Amino acid sequence: MAEVTLRKIVKNYGALEVVHGIDLDIAHNEFVVLVGPSGCGKSTTLRMIAGLEEVSGGEIAIGGRVVNTLPPRARNISMVFQNYALYPHMTVRENLGFSLKIAGRPPAEIEKATDEAAAILGLADYMDRTPGELSGGQRQRVAMGRAIVRHPDVFLFDEPLSNLDAKLRTQMRVEIKKLHQKVKTTIVYVTHDQVEAMTLADRIVIMKDGHIVQTGTPLEVFERPANTFVATFIGSPPMNLVDGVVAGGEVRFAGDASLPVPPAFRGRVQEGQRVTYGFRADNLMPAGHAMTGIGETADIDLTIALAEPLGAETILLSELAGVEIQGKMYNPRAVAAGERLSCLLALDHAHLFDAETGASLRT
Amino acid sequence: MTRLRRYARDHAVPLALLSPAVLVILLVVLLPLLFSFYTSFSNYRLIRPDSLWDWVGFRNYLRVLGDGDFWSAFGRTVLFLTVALNLEMLLGLGLALMVNRITWGQRTMRTIMMFPMMFSPILVGFQFKYLFNDTIGLVNNALQSLGLASEPIPFLVDRWLAFAAIAFAEIWMSTSIFAILILAGLFAMPKDPIEAARVDGCSNWQVFRHITLPFLMPFIYIAMTIRSLDVARAYDIVDVMTGGGPAGRTELLWTLIARTAYDDARMGRANAMAYFSILLSIFFTWFFFRKLMAARRHLGAF
Amino acid sequence: MSRAMKDRLIWAVTFLVMLIICLPGLWVVLSAFRTNGEILTKPAVWIPQNLTLDNFRAIFGLGENVLAIPVGSYFLNSLVISVTSTVLAVMIGMSGGYAFARHRFPGKSGAFLWLMLSRTVPGIALSLPLFILWSWIGLIDTKLGVIVVYTAINVPFTVWLTEGFFRQVPRDLSEAAQIDGCTPWQAFWKVEFPLARSGIASAGIFAFLTSWNEYALASQLTRSTDSKTLPVGLMDFTAQFTIDWAGMCAMAVIIIIPALILTFLVQKHLIAGLTFGGVKG
Ligand SMILES: Nc1ncnc2c1ncn2[C@@H]1O[C@H](COP(=O)(O)OP(=O)(O)OP(=O)(O)O)[C@@H](O)[C@H]1O
Ligand SMILES: [Mg+2]
Repeated sequence: MAEVTLRKIVKNYGALEVVHGIDLDIAHNEFVVLVGPSGCGKSTTLRMIAGLEEVSGGEIAIGGRVVNTLPPRARNISMVFQNYALYPHMTVRENLGFSLKIAGRPPAEIEKATDEAAAILGLADYMDRTPGELSGGQRQRVAMGRAIVRHPDVFLFDEPLSNLDAKLRTQMRVEIKKLHQKVKTTIVYVTHDQVEAMTLADRIVIMKDGHIVQTGTPLEVFERPANTFVATFIGSPPMNLVDGVVAGGEVRFAGDASLPVPPAFRGRVQEGQRVTYGFRADNLMPAGHAMTGIGETADIDLTIALAEPLGAETILLSELAGVEIQGKMYNPRAVAAGERLSCLLALDHAHLFDAETGASLRT
Repeated sequence: MTRLRRYARDHAVPLALLSPAVLVILLVVLLPLLFSFYTSFSNYRLIRPDSLWDWVGFRNYLRVLGDGDFWSAFGRTVLFLTVALNLEMLLGLGLALMVNRITWGQRTMRTIMMFPMMFSPILVGFQFKYLFNDTIGLVNNALQSLGLASEPIPFLVDRWLAFAAIAFAEIWMSTSIFAILILAGLFAMPKDPIEAARVDGCSNWQVFRHITLPFLMPFIYIAMTIRSLDVARAYDIVDVMTGGGPAGRTELLWTLIARTAYDDARMGRANAMAYFSILLSIFFTWFFFRKLMAARRHLGAF
Repeated sequence: MSRAMKDRLIWAVTFLVMLIICLPGLWVVLSAFRTNGEILTKPAVWIPQNLTLDNFRAIFGLGENVLAIPVGSYFLNSLVISVTSTVLAVMIGMSGGYAFARHRFPGKSGAFLWLMLSRTVPGIALSLPLFILWSWIGLIDTKLGVIVVYTAINVPFTVWLTEGFFRQVPRDLSEAAQIDGCTPWQAFWKVEFPLARSGIASAGIFAFLTSWNEYALASQLTRSTDSKTLPVGLMDFTAQFTIDWAGMCAMAVIIIIPALILTFLVQKHLIAGLTFGGVKG
C-alpha cells in the first residue's frame, strides 16, 4: 500500500517562501495530476516528495512512513524528468537496468526485468542504442521504462511530455494512461497543460502561487470550478466571465443586457450583490443548433464579430456588455462577420462568482 | 560568530568540497605571500638570518622606486608585454583565419599549430639561443651561407636585437594559444548572421568587422586571460637566452627580482619588487577577465 | 586575382608559417643526432655527415664519454613530481570545480575570482618566500616540496576547466541516479564523472604540462639530483665552461617527447576544455 500524504508542506528558499502549507492525501493506486501556471510550485512540491528538495516545514508520508529526512534512494519512488535525464553514456538496456544494478540484483533478474519493461513499452528493438540515437518519443519511453523496472511504490512525473510535438504528445498521453492501467501504482503527475490533466487524472490538484486552489475529479473541477481562476484555467476555450449586479432574479450587465440567475444559485445571492457571471462556450449556441435536453435556457441576441470554423463545430466570437465572449455552433454552416444570431444559453451550466474574491457562490 | 557558524552549516557540502583547494592555496600561495609582504618591510638578507627582524618600514619600496635599473626593467617589461601580446593576438587571428579558409591539409596544420604549446619555456629559450647564436646559430649560418651577411650578427648581445630575439621566442611560443582558441571560435560560429549580412549587401571586410570579429572577441579574451595568467613565463626564456645581460640590457622585472634576491641576496628589496610584478600580473588578468565577461554578455545577443 | 589563385596564396603563406613553427624544433632534433664537432665547424655543415646516438648514450651514461649531468635521475624526478602533482591537482580541482558547478553559496563568484588570481602570481615572485619557508621546514630540495607547490599552482586552472565541464552535465542526471538508488557519491562516480571525463582528462594534461615544463620555481626550490627536474637540469649545461650544444639538444628531445605524446593523444579535448570553460555562461 502506498498512499502519499502531505501535511502542511512548506518550502522556502532563503527568505522566499514558494510553497505555503499544502495538504494533500493521495490514495493507493490513484493517478493525481498537479496542474497550474508556470512558477506556481508544482515541481517544487513533486521534488519534495521525491526527496530532491528538503522540506522546510510540514510532513510527507509515503505508505504511512514519514520520509522527510530520507534520501531519494530510500523512498522507493521513481521519477520521469522533463528532459528525460537518460544517462547518455549507457545503452537503453543499461539505462533500464541501472537501478537494479545499483541495488545489487543478480544479472539474470535484471535481464528479466528490463526485457519485461521493454516489452511493455515497445523498446525491444532499441535496447543496444544510446539515448543520443533515439527520437524524442523513444527517449520518453525509455525514461518511463526506467521508472517501471523497479516496481516502485510511487511514480513521479514532471512535465514528461512538454518536449514532444503535439501529435506525439497525444500519443504518449494515451500510453501513459494505458501504462497506469497495466502497472497499477500511485502516480503523481505534474503538468501545466490542462488537457493532459483532464485526460489523465483520477483527481486533479490545481495550484496557484504555492497554494492548492481546488482538488477534485476532472469533471468536478470542470463543472463546478471553485473560483474564476479554475474556471478560466480548466477547459478550452476559457470560461466566459462577465461582471454584473443581481437585480430581481436576474443579473444585469453594463448596457441593458441581462441574464437570469442560474438555477443552482437561486437563493444564494442577494439583491444588489456584485457578481461575475460565468458560462462556457459549449453552453452558448445559436437557437436551432442546440442539442435537445439541455434544461432551462435563456435567450441572447448576439452580433458575431468573427467565426472560426473547426470542422465539427464553429467557434463564434461576440461581445456581451463590452466583454468578448465565445460561443459554439454545432452542425455548422457558414457565418459572416456582423451577422446577428439569436442564441441559447444553457443555464444549468452557468456559474456565479463573487465579483471581489472570485470564489464560486455555489456553496 | 553565530552567522559564520550558520553559514558553515547551511553550505557544509560545497565548503567541504572546496576546502582542499582553499587549503593548498592558502599554504602554498597566500601564506608565503603574507610572509614575503612582511619581509618587504625588513632588511632581510639571506646571508644574515637575524636581519629578518630588522624592520625598515617603507625603505625597500622607496629604494625600489628611486632605482633607475628597476624603472628601466619595469618599462622594458611593460613594453615587452604590450608588443608580445598584441603581436600574438594579431598573428594568431591571421593564422586562424587562414587555416579556417584552407581545406586541403587543414587537420595537419591544426595539429602543427599546437606544437609550441607543449614546449617548456626553458626549451623555447634554449632553442632560440641555439638558433640565434652568433657563431654556430642556424640564422647566422644561413645568412652567411647565402651571402646576406659577411660578419656574424650579434643577435643576443645588441640591446635591441636581443630584445627582438626574446620577443620572437615569446611570440613563437604563445601565438598558437591565440590561433587555436580563435579557430575554435570560428568553428563554433553560426553561419546565418554572415549570410544575412551578405544578403544585406555587406562587403567581405564589413562582414568581418561587424559580424565575425564581435563573435570572436570572447575567444580572444579567453586567450588573453589564459596568457596573462602566465606572462611571467617569459622569465624562463630570458634567463636561458641572455640571463638578463649583457650588462642588464635585456633585464625584465622578473630577472631583476631573481638577481636581487639570489645573487645579491637582498630578499627584502626583491620582495618589494615582487609585489610590483604581482600587481602587474593581476592587473593584466583582471583587465582581460573583465573584458571576457563583458564580451560574453554581449554574445548573448547572438 | 581569381578565387583559386587567392586560395593557393593563402595556402602557401600558411605553409610558410607552419614551417617557421616547425623548423626550430626540427633543427634542435636534428642537432641532437649530430656530433658537437660538426655543429661547431665553420663554415657551417648543412647536410649532416654522420648521424649518431652518442649524445643520448652519453646522457644516460651508456657510451664511453660519460656526461657529468645525471639526466636519468632528473627524468625520474620530473616524472614522479609531475605525475603526483597532476593526480593531486586533478582530485582537488575536481572537488572544487564540482562545488562551483553544482552548489550555490554566497560569495561564490568572489571565491572563484580569488582562486584564479592566486594563479597569476609570477613563479619567481612566489619562489622568494617559498625558498625561505621551505628551507625552514626542510622541504627545500625535496620532491615533496616541489609536488606540493605544483599541486597548488595547478589547482586554480583545474578548477576552472572541470567547473566548465561539470556545468555541461545536466543536473537532473545526478538526481535521476539518486532516485534510481544511488548515494550522491555513487551518482557522481557512475554518472557525472564518466560524462565529464574528457574535460577532466584535459585538465590533467594541462596540469601535467605545467608541472613538466615549470622552471622559475623549480630552479630555486631544487638543488641536487634528489629533486632537480629536467628543465632545471638543462641549465646545468650552460654552467659548464664550454656549452655542449649537441648534449643540450639531446636533452631537449627527451624533455619534449612525453609532452608531445600526451598532447597528441588528447588534442581534441584540449581545445574543447579551454573554450567550454571560458565561453559558455
Ligand atoms: N533554487 C531556487 N531558489 C529560489 N527560488 C526557486 C528555486 N527553485 C524554484 N524557485 C522558485 O520557486 C517557485 C516555484 O518553482 P517551481 O519550479 O516549483 O514551479 P513550477 O510550478 O514547476 O513551474 P513550471 O511549470 O515552469 O515548471 C518559482 O517562483 C521559482 O522561481
Ligand atoms: Mg516545473
